[in-house]
Amino acid sequence: MFRHVLKGLPIAAVALGLSAGAAMAGKANDTLVWTTDREAAVADPYYNRTRELVIIGNTVWDGLLFRDLDTGEFKPLLAKSYKWVDNTTLDFELRDDVKFHDGSSFGPEDVVYTVNFVTNKDNGVLTYKNVSWMKSAEKTGPNSVRINLEKPFPAALAYLAQAVFMMPEGHYDAAPKDAQGKKDFGAVKPVGTGPYMITEVVAGDRIVMKKNENYMIGGPKGTPQIGTIVYRTIKEMNTQIAELLTGGIDWIWDVPKDQAERLQDSGQVTVENAKTMRVSYLAFDVDGSSNTKKFMDKRIRAAVAHAINRQSIVDNLVGPASVVIHSPCHPDQFGCTDDVPKWDYNPDKAKKLLAEAGVPDGFEFDIYAYRQREYTEAVISDLAKVGIRAKLNYMQYRKLRDLNWKGVTPVQHMTWGSNSIPDVSAITGVFFSGGKDDPANDPEVNKMINEAGTVTDPAKRKALYKTAMSKIAGELYWLPMFTYAKYYVFNKDLDFKTTPDEIPRFYTAKWK
Amino acid sequence: MAPQESTPIAQPAGLPTAEEIMEPSPMAQMRKRVFGHYGIIIGGSTLLLIVLVAIFAPLLAPFDPILDQDLADKLKPPFWHDSPKYDPAHPLGTDLQGRDYLTRLMYGAQISLLIGFSAMLISLVIGTTLGVAAGYFGGRVDIIITFIITTRLSMPVVLVALAVVSLIGSSLWIVIGVLGLLIWDQFAVVMRSATMQIRNLDYVAAARACGCSTFHIVAKEIMPNVVNHLIVVATLEMAHAILLEAALSFLGLGVQPPTPSWGLMISEAKGMMFFDAWLIGIPGAALFALILSINLLGDGVRDVTAPENRN
Amino acid sequence: MLIYFLKRLGVAVLVALTVSVLTFSLIYLSGDPAMALAGEEATEADIALIRRVYGYDQPIIVQYWDWLTRALQGDLGRSHYLKEDIADVIFTRLPNTLILAACAITFALVLAIPLGVAAAIRPNSLIDRFALTVAVVGQALPSFWFALILIFFLGIQLRWLPITGTDSWMNFIMPAIALGYYVTPGVMRLTRAGMLEVLQSDYIRTAKAKGLRPIRVLFKHALRNAIIPVVSLAAVQFGFMLGGSIVIETIFSINGLGFLAWETIQRADLPMMQAIVLVFSIFYIVITFLADLLNAYLDPRIRIS
Repeated sequence: MFRHVLKGLPIAAVALGLSAGAAMAGKANDTLVWTTDREAAVADPYYNRTRELVIIGNTVWDGLLFRDLDTGEFKPLLAKSYKWVDNTTLDFELRDDVKFHDGSSFGPEDVVYTVNFVTNKDNGVLTYKNVSWMKSAEKTGPNSVRINLEKPFPAALAYLAQAVFMMPEGHYDAAPKDAQGKKDFGAVKPVGTGPYMITEVVAGDRIVMKKNENYMIGGPKGTPQIGTIVYRTIKEMNTQIAELLTGGIDWIWDVPKDQAERLQDSGQVTVENAKTMRVSYLAFDVDGSSNTKKFMDKRIRAAVAHAINRQSIVDNLVGPASVVIHSPCHPDQFGCTDDVPKWDYNPDKAKKLLAEAGVPDGFEFDIYAYRQREYTEAVISDLAKVGIRAKLNYMQYRKLRDLNWKGVTPVQHMTWGSNSIPDVSAITGVFFSGGKDDPANDPEVNKMINEAGTVTDPAKRKALYKTAMSKIAGELYWLPMFTYAKYYVFNKDLDFKTTPDEIPRFYTAKWK
Repeated sequence: MAPQESTPIAQPAGLPTAEEIMEPSPMAQMRKRVFGHYGIIIGGSTLLLIVLVAIFAPLLAPFDPILDQDLADKLKPPFWHDSPKYDPAHPLGTDLQGRDYLTRLMYGAQISLLIGFSAMLISLVIGTTLGVAAGYFGGRVDIIITFIITTRLSMPVVLVALAVVSLIGSSLWIVIGVLGLLIWDQFAVVMRSATMQIRNLDYVAAARACGCSTFHIVAKEIMPNVVNHLIVVATLEMAHAILLEAALSFLGLGVQPPTPSWGLMISEAKGMMFFDAWLIGIPGAALFALILSINLLGDGVRDVTAPENRN
Repeated sequence: MLIYFLKRLGVAVLVALTVSVLTFSLIYLSGDPAMALAGEEATEADIALIRRVYGYDQPIIVQYWDWLTRALQGDLGRSHYLKEDIADVIFTRLPNTLILAACAITFALVLAIPLGVAAAIRPNSLIDRFALTVAVVGQALPSFWFALILIFFLGIQLRWLPITGTDSWMNFIMPAIALGYYVTPGVMRLTRAGMLEVLQSDYIRTAKAKGLRPIRVLFKHALRNAIIPVVSLAAVQFGFMLGGSIVIETIFSINGLGFLAWETIQRADLPMMQAIVLVFSIFYIVITFLADLLNAYLDPRIRIS
């Protein structure tokens, strides 16, 4: 116990100003400080499921491939080239000039180690869905490697580019053991090949990354420019804005529309609204497992759909980069189509449908939500105008998902970000392939979705998804609402490009 | 804390001197003290005003606090802002959702008072029962109840409230229940020591000697003599509950929107504080006035009924 | 004295045990920890896997017993979320909270005691009214509201003070004021009341009659006696501050225990939550115990039964 006290002492000393101050933000210090409200506790993309670690993962580590955001094509990154041998086999030629941050060379052994380690269920990788499609990897030559798939998986390249990061061979061997003798793999010192290397992790407070001077030349990620990048946790949006305005930090996002507009008016900072892969939707209790059977009636669901002014929410609350959607996916995802039955804003029609369904004076039900309360409040207010009284139950995500799985939620206002994977298998495939997340468990839809998840012919996949989505939208298992847009606010000196997938590429940022 | 401390605290000018009190009848003295006490007058009238507004909100308020919403009307400034966006229909402006701020403020008084009063009532019942039992019976009962009080005191209120609310979800009645179950400690501590003091007095001993039932002694002999302590703690805890609700709402775990509570209004508007300070200023000021008036009233009651003022 | 000490110790252990049972059941009921660990975009299969690998599929009694036996051996376990030794995490964050609470209580005492003394010397004077105003305002000001106003003026408008973090002593000024101000009224009122009482007592009159300098009477004789109840109050408030700093630590982004507690609630990190509540309750018990001892030392009249 005493050694813990001793460990705390230096921190107390720093806190009292007895030792040197911390790194400052801004151009003068060549330090980019970005902030979110979430605590990035574990600096390992396999053992932390937060968006922050996806961002840091792409900054500190590299995958075999790289997705060009402008063209959508997959380019080799740690690989020199790749090719499909068959449906379930991928071959890679690797670069031979890449070094890990600890100085060791990158080679096929590292790929084999990483793939075999993360796909082993006993290792408890938290992002298991990102890797479970792989069966194994094997070395096929001095600079070549083969990845075997569990079964045909069309989205493989997207996952390889964004979620499968390469660790050095033996990386997790040094993991400390917990009391039961189980290894804690998330606690090892982070080592990657990426443009920045992690030099300091203060759990709950900051992660410091320094420029990797030996980063690969001529790679698709370019050459890192800014000397130091610091991630900091600041819970309160107000405090974030206050720090940004006084130069304590350089970059924030998720700023609500009204604040972002005022910040833009102030002229002190750069404000941008960008697309994200996240969509908002209402999921209905189609099978009537909750306390109200109302939503088994399609006319009621249609009344709700006609009553909500989605365009007004987009215009007034979300931001210019947001659009209303009609199918259960993001328009940028492969396989997504807008060519499905649509439900326009029409309160009169909603009232008529309510009368037809035998509830001309409306009814009362519980609506559940976990994110952006103001969006749900707008929905509630729209519904109230046609006489439907929705009672808000706002709670944490895990609690809500638990209730949803138990089937007690009549209507839930949810969102899904697809882990930024640009393929509908990451959203429609998750929610309409049958199971607890599926609101309808429509066997016809399930069959099509499951088939689309395994065929590799793009045209055939698209056709299958379109039929399934038409049924989902037409029967209103979900009411797809709109895409999310994010306001980014950052230092005027910063040359930063927003990206449509909620993964800011800090390694491309530079000072003006 | 030594809760039986009933020394006249902050005795403002206007309180009669000892000589003046010597002559008139007790009731007259009391009247004089009450109406000569600035704290009671200011606190009492402010509280009365807030209570009246809360009760008559449906009649006074120009709009509906929840249904009258139009996103196109959002963030209208209040009347003292000399802005072309000002709309006389909304004297205090509109919130981020385009709802009338004055209306929500009026209905918010209902919620804040309801939370403060109900949570206080629950804690009063629990705390007084435990405190009086411990003080009256002493011995093992006292040891057990003291243990319960210590356990309760050693668990941080905000932390436990947050945990519980995040567990069962937040609604008005859950918040009231959780707060009521958490803030009874002061009642228990004060009632325990007050009862202990009185239990050993001659007249209680006499009542016991003539075979009065425990209930009779507690209800007829003890309660009337501790009721002034009770009122003082009750005002403090009511204020405490209202502030706690505001803090919970601030962290996003208070009452459920779109219910208009002042704490929730602050929480919803806090993001705009650097730009439209009035959005957080108005409910903040209302909350401040409410707590202030309750505290002034409590202080006044303490001053006026303190035993040393009673000769 | 020894028996008293042992008794207190026994009660303390019992309280700690009760608190741990309460928290364990509370946190456990607050939702599936596996789901919290898995994060927002996990699928059913992900969560089932995590539940098995991390032992959340065991009955709750087994999990509690497991935790308790290890905690008794001084092992608070590892946080599944932070991947760190819990004792390490707590002791690296505790200093921040301790510094904050110490600064806050110092601020409260420095403001309240002189005001209380001055108010007691001249009851109903201008300074007494001022003290009264400070007290009633302090009690009625929501601390988070006050904190935001401080940030607005001292941090943004005047740019005198840094807003977040714990990098220098300057960082602690605003949070200490915001946290400490709420305590000021109680301390001030108690000081004033105590002084009033003491100043009217016989021995002060005697001291004055002996011709001692008034200032000496005031500080050497009166304040020493009047301050006794203030010590208890300050100690208890210090204990409450440790737990009550959640909101303030969140606003000022101070990486302390309160902030950790709030984060921990949100992600249902069972072993961590257990440890935090335990630390808080032990702190409370220790501090009130010390205050009792200090009072016994300051005031020989207090006899422990």
